[in-house]
Order: sequence, then C-alpha cells, then structure tokens
Amino acid sequence: MASILPALEWLEGLAWTTAIRESNLGYPIMETSHVACIVAFAGLVMVMDLRLLGLAFARTPLTRIQRPLFRWQMSGFFLSAATGLLLFVVDPLRYYGNIFFRVKLVLLALAGLNALGFHLTTFRSVGRWDEDRLVPATARLAGAISLFFWSAIIVTGRLIAYNWFD
Amino acid sequence: MKTKIIVALLTAGVLCAGQQALAHHAFAAEYDSEKPVTLTGTLSKMEWVNPHGWIYMDVKQPDGTVQKWTIESSGPGPMSRRGLKKTDFVAGMSLVVKGYQGKQKPTLANGRTLVLADGRSFYIGSVGGPNDGADKQ
Amino acid sequence: MSQAYRESLWLFAVTQALHLVAVSGFVGAILIVDLGLLGWGPARQSQSGIARSAQRILLWTGPAVLVTGIPQFTTNALRYYASPVFAIKMGLLAVALVFTVTLRRRVAAADGDRLPSWVPKAVGAVSLALWMGVTIGGRWIGFSE
Repeated sequence: MASILPALEWLEGLAWTTAIRESNLGYPIMETSHVACIVAFAGLVMVMDLRLLGLAFARTPLTRIQRPLFRWQMSGFFLSAATGLLLFVVDPLRYYGNIFFRVKLVLLALAGLNALGFHLTTFRSVGRWDEDRLVPATARLAGAISLFFWSAIIVTGRLIAYNWFD
Repeated sequence: MKTKIIVALLTAGVLCAGQQALAHHAFAAEYDSEKPVTLTGTLSKMEWVNPHGWIYMDVKQPDGTVQKWTIESSGPGPMSRRGLKKTDFVAGMSLVVKGYQGKQKPTLANGRTLVLADGRSFYIGSVGGPNDGADKQ
Repeated sequence: MSQAYRESLWLFAVTQALHLVAVSGFVGAILIVDLGLLGWGPARQSQSGIARSAQRILLWTGPAVLVTGIPQFTTNALRYYASPVFAIKMGLLAVALVFTVTLRRRVAAADGDRLPSWVPKAVGAVSLALWMGVTIGGRWIGFSE
C-alpha cells in the first residue's frame, strides 16, 4: 500500500495551510470553533443518551426529543468534522504521528457504527416504546455506548495536545 | 441539593490542596523547574507555528562538541504581540535562550527568555511555567 | 520521583479533558431548553417537563465543571489575574448564571399561552449567546497570553 506521507507533506507545504499554521489569529479561531462545535454537538447527543438510559426527560416521549434535535446534531457534527478536517490539513504530519489522534478517529468510527446500528434496528420499532420511561434493553445499551464513546472522543481529542509519545 | 454543593466544594478544596503536588501541572512533568538552563548558540531552525513554536539551536560545549537543543516557545500570536517577527529568526544567527531543561529529554527545554544578537530580549514562555519573573517584561 | 511527576501530568491532563466532557453535558442541557424556547426544538407542550429535567442535569454537571476547572485556575492564578480574556469569561459566566436562575427559569417553566411569542425567543437567544460565549472564552484563554 502506497504511503500517504508524500501527500501529507504536499499538504503541509501549501501556501494557505502554511499561512494558517503560522497565523496569529486564524489557527486560534479555527481550533476554538472546532471545540465550540464539538461541545454543542456532543452535548445534544449526551442529553439524548440520558433519555435512552431513562435518567432524564423520562416523561417525554423519545421522539419528541429526538426528531427536533436530530438536525442540530447533524449540523453540529458536520461543522465539527469540517473544522477538524481543516485543522488536520493545516498540520497533517503532526496529527498523522499522534497516537491520540489515531485513537480518536477509531472511536469516531465506532460511535458512528453504534448510532447507525441503533437507527437501523431497535429504533425502527420506536412507535411501540416511545412513551416508555424504560426503553428496550438494546436501546439503553446503545445510549450507554454512545455516552461512553463521545466522552472518550472528547478526552482523546484534548490529549492530542500532549505529544508525550513522539 | 445542599449536600451536593458541599461535596462539590469539599472536592474542590481537596484538589486545591493537591495543587502543591501538581506544581505547575503540564510544565512540571515535562520540564524541571529546578534545572534552569542558559543556552548560547546559533539558530538551526525556527518553526513559527501554532499552538507552540519550536526553536532548534546548536550549542557549543566547553569540550568543543556541539549539542543540538529543541526549545518549546509560545505560539505566533503571543510572540507577535510582544514584538517578535518570524523574520527575526535567521538560520545561523547567534541567540541566547533561557529556560528549563526537560526531564526525560536532556536536550529539550521550555523557553522563557530569548535574547537576540542585537540585544533585544523577549518573553517566549507558555502558560504554566514557574514564577521566575521572566514574564514581567 | 519522575514516576510521581509522570502521574501528576496524567492527572492534570485527564482532569482538563474531563472538564470538557462536563462542559458538553452542561451545554447540552442548556441547548435543549434554548432550542425549545427559540421554536427550533421540542414542541411547546413538552418544554416545561424538559426544562425541569434539564435543570437536574445542570445541577449535576455544573459542580463537575467547577471541580475539574479549578486545577487549571489555581496553577495559573497569577497570570489569569492579569488576563482580560479570563475576566471577560468570568464576567459572562456571572451574567449567564444569574440570567439562567432567574428570568430564564421562569420563562422556561411558564405556560405557553401567557407570554407574547417574542419573549421565549429573546430569552433563548440571549441564553445561547451567553453560554456559548463562556465556552468560547474558556478556550480562548489558552490563546491569549
């Protein structure tokens, strides 16, 4: 398999990525936006996971929460991913070699699979258990897994700053 | 409700007390505040990047050998605000850096003060270093 | 000796990371109510129940945010004292807290028909701006030396 390092070096050498990497304001704005988007998006996912676990909003039908929030969660995710991609592209070699970044990507994939799995299976029958305080066990499990993964994603994301394993 | 607040305050209090052990957090585990260094040498390369800059310099030892040092500095924003420019760093130029030596890596340092050949002196430290007065400039 | 220092670095870094997790939970509970007030979230009739539940989440995550945030503050207290960004963040936090426990709480719990429609929208917008301001200010401290 061809190494992607030459492509990453090319990205790093571009004028606009270099400019942002060396900027006074550009990089701080991008990184702060990334953090703000993640906090908002993950926060909305977490409160919904709490509903799945029956720990919050238990008297509100799940879909009354999930349906209106879904578009905000998706927008938040896409903005987080877009700012994240920009951050990566601006300093690709640094992140490529960073263990926490790699772990974060794996966790993101796993979190996505958990969400997709839940939507394609248990959630299909939501009409039957929408108003239950205690939802089916598989739904509760999906909520618990989601809460764990998104917390882990935030933690590994923050730890990227520490290059202890260079 | 009241119990929760009391527990929170107590935990906070314990954490504050534990601060003595944590010393200067991230700084203390990577760099030794008991091992200040003054490095005189020539600039090999300067990475003027976010979130931290990196100064690579060659430091001639008394026995004639050359040690290659890596110094962590603040990012472009803080350095620019103090009057430094990327163009102030020219490969081969003489410079003096004062900082603190790395714990696991002996030729790594956390930079605090930079003195250029023209005599100008700048604070290049990041948040968390010891209170040695370097940032009063 | 270096083992202890290594462990203390982990402790600080993980505490800082958990601060972000707690902030996310807190902001999520704020957002679900604010989105409802703005008319972009859960329907009007569900809102007062959601607001009560959200308040419980705030009471759990709030102290967690505080406790995980304090180590960062105490190790930098002298430098933060002089930082305008830190002062702005704390100012916004104070305003946000007062606003949330007074006006916003009453509006979120109120019956939908008793208030002119612009009131919940304005309260939701102000709350969103204040709390996102605190979040953004918190991150910006690291860039503002």
